[in-house]
Amino acid sequence: MTKLISSPGPSRFDDPEALSRLKKRHAAERRFRLYGQLAISFAILFLGLLIVSIGSQAVSAFSHHQVTFHLPLNEETVAPNGPGDPEAVEENISGFYQLVREDLARTFPEAGETPARTREVNALVTRLAVIPMARETSEHLDWLGETRRYRTALSDDLDLYLKGAVADEIEISLAEILRAEQIRAEDSDAPPRIRLTSADEFASLRDALARASALTADRGEAGGFSVLVQNGANLVRLLPPYDSQPLLFEPMTGTPANLAGGKPEARIILLPESARNVTDRQIAWTLALQEQGRIRSSLNWALLTNSDSTYPEIAGVLAAIVGSLFTMFVTAAIAIPIGICAALYLEEYAPKNRVTDLIEVNINNLAAVPSIVFGLLGAAVFLNFLALPRSAPLVGGLVLGLLTLPTVIIAARAALRTVPPSIRAAALGLGASKTQTVFHHVLPLAAPGILTGAIIGMARALGETAPLLLIGMVAFVAEVPGGPTDEATALPVLIYKWSTGAERAWEPNTAAAILVLLTFMVVMNAVAVFLRRRFERRW
Amino acid sequence: MPDTSSHSATTASIATATKVDCRNINVFYGDKQAIFDISMAIPGRSVTSFIGPSGCGKSTFLRCINRMNDTIENARVEGQVIIEGENVNTDAVDPVLLRSRVGMVFQKPNPFPKSIYDNVAYGPRIHGLARTREDMDAVVQNSLTRAGLWEEVKDRLGEPGTGLSGGQQQRLCIARAIAVSPEIILMDEPCSALDPIATAKIEELIDELRERFCIVIVTHSMQQAARVSQRTAFFHLGKLVEFGDTEQVFTNPTDDRTQDYITGRFG
Repeated sequence: MTKLISSPGPSRFDDPEALSRLKKRHAAERRFRLYGQLAISFAILFLGLLIVSIGSQAVSAFSHHQVTFHLPLNEETVAPNGPGDPEAVEENISGFYQLVREDLARTFPEAGETPARTREVNALVTRLAVIPMARETSEHLDWLGETRRYRTALSDDLDLYLKGAVADEIEISLAEILRAEQIRAEDSDAPPRIRLTSADEFASLRDALARASALTADRGEAGGFSVLVQNGANLVRLLPPYDSQPLLFEPMTGTPANLAGGKPEARIILLPESARNVTDRQIAWTLALQEQGRIRSSLNWALLTNSDSTYPEIAGVLAAIVGSLFTMFVTAAIAIPIGICAALYLEEYAPKNRVTDLIEVNINNLAAVPSIVFGLLGAAVFLNFLALPRSAPLVGGLVLGLLTLPTVIIAARAALRTVPPSIRAAALGLGASKTQTVFHHVLPLAAPGILTGAIIGMARALGETAPLLLIGMVAFVAEVPGGPTDEATALPVLIYKWSTGAERAWEPNTAAAILVLLTFMVVMNAVAVFLRRRFERRW
Repeated sequence: MPDTSSHSATTASIATATKVDCRNINVFYGDKQAIFDISMAIPGRSVTSFIGPSGCGKSTFLRCINRMNDTIENARVEGQVIIEGENVNTDAVDPVLLRSRVGMVFQKPNPFPKSIYDNVAYGPRIHGLARTREDMDAVVQNSLTRAGLWEEVKDRLGEPGTGLSGGQQQRLCIARAIAVSPEIILMDEPCSALDPIATAKIEELIDELRERFCIVIVTHSMQQAARVSQRTAFFHLGKLVEFGDTEQVFTNPTDDRTQDYITGRFG
């Protein structure tokens, strides 16, 4: 400062001191810009990671494997009450499942050997997976007596196996098998054994076995893998010890003698049978069905058109979507009008004094209250005191409405505050009343902002889980709710529920449901952006 | 407009007949007093200008006449504002009706973000002044013509009023104000946001309008006050220092403070 005063000479562009100051200023600017860019790339990176991880998990849920069955629709099994009762047909799940079981028994006669094995083969198709089959038939009772082709979901575990999600595998082609002989054991009760003669003495298989041993040994599971040899629809399993001479096999499905000739393949499943939900035999049957062209992968529409189920392969999000929609309607009906009225009153009419200050502070605090507290409030007031139906979108909507209310009020007040006071003065100066001023001028100008705030508040409510858990919307709901007072669940609650499911197949389902929820949110936000762009006025 | 002009025709013979008689006006913002006991008789069919340094209370006093101070929280206006023999500064008079008789033009042009037509038609619409579409068209055309804007906008009445230039916007605001046939028009520094050419047009317009309306204008420009007004009031620190014919106030002020202000010694 003193220097400036003592030397007030003309400043120069090449003053080294000024130049170094300037350099520092530019460096600070560049540094700050870099920080900003880093922050944004950080955010984008994590958003990308989130979408990729959910997306890649969900992909497998959007396709599933279906088994084709040709079922003879005999009347006594399918239509217990005769052809005049379509409802009985639709509800006759056991009848259809019996047809499926009979078909499986015909296809795989070896499964009938023991009851345990019958159960094993029946697990290829879940009992409830025949529901669409029954429904379809009930609409076409003229099919009775015919043999119809149906396609039904493969059991979730085998579906996951075919998607490669169960265990790592080594697949190799084998040299031609020259001969397959059955060795009768001395003890006739013991299972039959097969000795295969390979053109190359199973050299490639032994190589692969060595690799598999090494791999599983690393994991501390020495010998914990299964080996299936397949030729067409005929499969055998390698019997331990895997280094015996000669290698001995046991039959899985098909005719062992047919393994000779053709192009045999071996697959080594690098997970012990005891550690999976699918047995070697089930895998063999599935591979045989696939070989026969009876298993096909298709788009899993069921995920969108079905409702919740205890079986992941037939579970869908439809009921949850409808429940969420009903909830959102109630939420919107509560939060938007009340929120706008409150904001209008506070912003345009209310005198500025202690009371309104207190109200304002409390509204801001309310917006920060954890959502679970609103759930407790809802449970106490709406369920216990007002005795409204449990698990209903009505109550969920009321609770979420209360939750959204402060957000809507704050957004609406902010939007009202952006309307320039000159517009109010102009209208008042013309002799418009306060209410005319507000409704003719202020509200229309603030509407885009208010709507944007309201929609973003609703999007937040759409993703709320905790308050809905407390009012019982976590109930298992397999029926699409018909109204806001029916039992229902909501998308985020369904996601929570699915994510806690024990079976592996819930994992992709959960990811898929998350994608559905995200889609809804993106749509809502897009609508908000569109409204803002469309109705924004300049002055 | 015809009803207003015929109504005041009886008093028109005397150009200085009092239109607004303000008696002992005191204005408080909370505990702070902004206007100290001002009494002033504003004549009809002429232009009265309020001058004075910033913060002297001239806008506040202007806003007493159409009770715009009511919209400010904590503002309290004491005293009588007598328009045509009736005190309007009482709860018995609805400010909404008062403001249809006392129009106002603001410092910054503030057209509604609506079409030019709707801007002008809004006042008549809320006061029910035009019954049919034709009546309304006539009112709009009449008002825009009198505001000297008709020729410029007649082909684009549907376009937003905010798309006009600043001077046009201000004339639109004047057209909007006169569309409800007020008797008095208050102008709060109507040219302070305009360029000299637009200002000249507005001043010309004010000069034409005084044949029909009582106009009160707040201005910071002493030249403007000298050009457009017949009477001038000089305010200082919330008090009325001097009020008289414009010529007299500018050439032969009775108060030293007025003298100092108009010669540029303070303000």
